Amino acid sequence: MLVKLKVNGELRQADVPPETTLLKMLREDLGLTGAKLGCDVGDCGTCTVIVDGDSLNSCLMLAAKANGREITTIEGLATSADLHPLQKSFEELGALQCGFCGPGMLMSAKNLLDKNPEPSVHEIKDALSGNLCRCTGYTKIIEAIQDAGRELSGAAAGN
Amino acid sequence: MVTTVKDVKTGAEALTTDKELTAPAVKPVTLPSENPVVYPLTLPEPAARTQTPAVGQRASRPDGRLHGLGQTKYIDDLTFPHMIHAKILRSAHPHARIISVDTSEAEAMPGVFATLTGKEIPVNSFGPTLQDQPVLAGDIVRHRGDGVAAVAAVTEQIAADALEKIKVEYEPLPAVFDPVEALKDEIKVHAPNSNIYASKVIRKGDVDKALAESDHVFHREFRTQFVEHVPLEPHSSVAMWDGNGRVTIYSSLGRITLGREDLSRTLRIPQNRVRLIGTIVGGNFGGKNEITNEPILALLSKKTGRPVKCTYTRGDEFVSSTIRHPFIMDYTTGVNNEGKILARKIRLVLDGGAYCSWTGTTIGKGSILAPGPYNIDNLLVEAYAVYTNKTTTGAMRGFGAPQVCFAYESQMDDIAVALGIDPLEIRLRNAFSENSFSPTSQVLQSVAIKESLLQASDRFGWKE
Repeated sequence: MLVKLKVNGELRQADVPPETTLLKMLREDLGLTGAKLGCDVGDCGTCTVIVDGDSLNSCLMLAAKANGREITTIEGLATSADLHPLQKSFEELGALQCGFCGPGMLMSAKNLLDKNPEPSVHEIKDALSGNLCRCTGYTKIIEAIQDAGRELSGAAAGN
Repeated sequence: MVTTVKDVKTGAEALTTDKELTAPAVKPVTLPSENPVVYPLTLPEPAARTQTPAVGQRASRPDGRLHGLGQTKYIDDLTFPHMIHAKILRSAHPHARIISVDTSEAEAMPGVFATLTGKEIPVNSFGPTLQDQPVLAGDIVRHRGDGVAAVAAVTEQIAADALEKIKVEYEPLPAVFDPVEALKDEIKVHAPNSNIYASKVIRKGDVDKALAESDHVFHREFRTQFVEHVPLEPHSSVAMWDGNGRVTIYSSLGRITLGREDLSRTLRIPQNRVRLIGTIVGGNFGGKNEITNEPILALLSKKTGRPVKCTYTRGDEFVSSTIRHPFIMDYTTGVNNEGKILARKIRLVLDGGAYCSWTGTTIGKGSILAPGPYNIDNLLVEAYAVYTNKTTTGAMRGFGAPQVCFAYESQMDDIAVALGIDPLEIRLRNAFSENSFSPTSQVLQSVAIKESLLQASDRFGWKE
């Protein structure tokens, strides 16, 4: 079946079998391997993408259901000119270890900061409740999100 | 241009001439006795944190940028032209004899390229300590995670569907799950061999005499459980067998040199025909230290002439990859009225699961560390690793050290409470100091345990 969607601002389409998940379509048909397959049952959050302003597990969403919707993946976070503040702070504060949870963490974090640029630690933990880091680097991840949030809200205030 | 002898001479002459301009014409030759070399024997003591400019500096990971951009390529992110996908059928029983494996129906399915069974593996055994583990089960399955057959198909979904068409006839055998039961050898996992496949004994002083002379004797059994590493990246490999008989394998394996040995052995080809490429690993924690599906993929690639990929499902990870050894730890400790440990007798039983894997390392490290960081003159540690019909236990962060730490520190607390001594104080009274002997009589240096305990307890306000 033909699925058409807008990925990172670009119209993309692929002909996929009906059982294909959004994750599989992104990775195998559109070549966007940033979202990872960790558990395939919606527990680990490595496949997190943003669909129409909500972060969700792309392994649990059928590609057909994403038809006509707007998807943002980790590949759409940076511009050709600059990294997203989250990517900068994750890199600088050592929030990425083996890196496998990173794309999912970053997408959950972006979705949080889009809605709440100055989240409390509790709100960050809540937003990341669906993302596991087996290297257990949560402290630095939380610090990096706070850091990026400060930069984003600072930039907003400056404008 | 052809270099002639003349050219070379000219070059050499030019070099010596140039050198002589800066170097002394005649090098003074002196015998060592005539001119003793004086080294600066009083080297300045490097102050801590100034030994290298890197210490104390913030460092960022060289791969952090790509991780954050989602551009890091893990194995499952790789794809090759005409690549097909493999799936592995797991055993239906914890212990059974395989009567027959019929793959004909699976092979007849549209989209299926090839199947593989244990009988087709050139050398069907591997392992870092003992080579007791089959790549795919041969005659006997020893736990539910044993692979019985594999399928390569055009998509993962077709490969998964084909697994259901494979007919395996089993003759179930009695299974043993409790390591203490397994010690009795009534049901043998690797018949006719004993279930006890590794042991270690450490003796020091006279433990029975010292226990008899102790003011108080404490006894308790401690148990720990299985732990799966759960790396977020499941095990994944891609194998390509080329026309020249060489195989290239991309794998999430952490130890590629050891993996190459195992591949060479199981595929029965020289190591120079095995090219094993490890890339960035999405979490290892000890669980990616040995080969898993690599020889299967190599042989499926040989059969089909295509690159073959297999990424474990989370279910495969839990049942077939190695996990942490559960320990049953029996501790008897004799102390005097001041809380000084006079003797300690320890018996460890390691649940090894179906195959050895890294048990050799685990039992060694576990036994040596079992008495804890304390000066104990009379010691007996006996450790046994036994096979059971459960998931194979292997390397995991610490190789047995965390299990015994739980036991000896729990018992220190028991003793402190019973004798009414401050738990910090009882540790300070017994802890190693500079030049203490380890349980295996290694002289220990740079021992800072007492200072560390005092500083830490000071910082978190233990006294308050």
